[in-house]
Amino acid sequence: MIQKWKNHAEAYLFVTPSVILTVTLGIYPILWALRYMFYDYKGYGEAKFAGLYNIKRLFRDDYLWDAIWNTFVFASGKMILTLPVALLLAVLLNGKLRGRNLLRGIYFMPTIFSTAVMAVVFYLIFNSYNGLLNQILNMIGLPAVEWLNMQNAMLTCIIIAAWGGIGNYMLLFLAGLQGIPKDVYESAELDGATGARRFWSITIPMLGPVLNIIMMLAIMSALESYEAIMVLTGGGPSGATEVMHLYLYKLLFPVSTGETMAQDIGYGSAVAMLLALIVGVITGLYLYLSRKLNDIYS
Amino acid sequence: MTRISGRILTWTFLLITAALLLLPIALAMLGSFKTNQELNAGSALLPKVWQLENYLYTWKEAKFSVYVWNSVIYSVGATITTVTVCSLAAYAVARRSFPGRKLLLGVYSAMMFIHMGVLTLKPAYQIMVTLGLHKSVLGLIIMMTGAGGTTFFILYAFIRSISKELDEAAMIDGASSFYIFSRIILPLCAPALGVVGLFAFRGAWNNYILPLVFTMSQPELQPITVGLANIRYGFGGAVQSHLMLTGACISMLPMLLMYILANKSFVQMNVGAIKG
Repeated sequence: MIQKWKNHAEAYLFVTPSVILTVTLGIYPILWALRYMFYDYKGYGEAKFAGLYNIKRLFRDDYLWDAIWNTFVFASGKMILTLPVALLLAVLLNGKLRGRNLLRGIYFMPTIFSTAVMAVVFYLIFNSYNGLLNQILNMIGLPAVEWLNMQNAMLTCIIIAAWGGIGNYMLLFLAGLQGIPKDVYESAELDGATGARRFWSITIPMLGPVLNIIMMLAIMSALESYEAIMVLTGGGPSGATEVMHLYLYKLLFPVSTGETMAQDIGYGSAVAMLLALIVGVITGLYLYLSRKLNDIYS
Repeated sequence: MTRISGRILTWTFLLITAALLLLPIALAMLGSFKTNQELNAGSALLPKVWQLENYLYTWKEAKFSVYVWNSVIYSVGATITTVTVCSLAAYAVARRSFPGRKLLLGVYSAMMFIHMGVLTLKPAYQIMVTLGLHKSVLGLIIMMTGAGGTTFFILYAFIRSISKELDEAAMIDGASSFYIFSRIILPLCAPALGVVGLFAFRGAWNNYILPLVFTMSQPELQPITVGLANIRYGFGGAVQSHLMLTGACISMLPMLLMYILANKSFVQMNVGAIKG
């Protein structure tokens, strides 16, 4: 008995640092937000209990819902541009191909750099006035494009996000593809199945479970990203690229962006809760639907 | 015939994608050797005269020596703490049964799905203020330490794949838990430790939002990501394109070097993220 508890105590000792950090930096902030979403707290002075005021305010805040809409546009755009290219690259690299490792190294390279640093580089590339891309377009006789204006800014942000994401998803797809036994393809080939047929009838169904995890990761990371947009456009021009987590950042830390927004921690907590809920519901819904579809097809 | 045209199509796609993905990196590297005028006026792809002074100026005058030094300290520090904290926990959870073990696993996996975004940093900052660590390097390193998440689960899965007989034999011989952990488990974990260490280093080196929020009033504590983005928001008025690109390249260079040297580990860490 004593020996058993001594063993337990030892185990607790091992997990203590990790548990302390998780509780203080992971769980406590959630409880903190759960409390302050019911308070009127601007970051200074005293926090006053405000009941449901902040939650009611969520529904009246058109700017927030615009930001949420922008986030959906951004996330779907990023996924539509990233995932098919990444999957195609993975399928091609999974076959016998000369220079396979070198190509894989090149495709993955963008993911090793800091999003913020690359956003600075992309700012110089996509800048409307003497940006590097417009210089190249001029050189080959094409007209310059206003990459960061109201109409194009979101598309530019999506392109940049895809640039940083393709390599990552290619690797994840490759890992999934390597789990498919080679002899399935060989026997399909003997039966005369063409490349496209093999892709739709073997690759996609056999990728199933891995595909679900990858999709879920893609949805979550696309809905939650804002770093590159923050450095590139700061959400502008006039809110055209304002995504939901960038809006949250501005509510909590308005000093750094030079925004006119005022710090509002009570309301920011309510927004953070809503955003966590939105991402949770969407990923949950995705998992539920994909499971349903799997049941129908198998 | 279709075979050949198919192959041409494949290679066109592969090479164009590769070129598009490499282009921004190449533009940044070439641009970092140009003068500001050359960059703004538009010129040939290659710099007229390779301006090595850009690097000297960025390093000394634009204070990048300070930024880089800070980045190195944070990244090395956060890598050590992350790997230590996670491997200790992963060992106990993988090898011991204790009350609360299931709960711990449940909470850690749930935490991977609940994201409050930047809100987390507000109460965390207040904790650091209470501890008097909000203006210190140590505070930042603690904040950057990943205590659970992918790192924990990769190590957890790896330790579980190590044969249990090894530590049981050592235990019969009277070895203490810490001895087993440090002399048997850790050495066998070396490949996994390398992978998660690289993961942690990349995360800390590239981190932007956390150090931005924590060093807002302490420019002398800013890492390279924050220092660089600040130039973007104006550094002495005129846009200094060449300095931005040189700074970006200084930030990219160490990662590129590590990538070339440890390509396999980089690949494994991302794959581990879905298998772990």
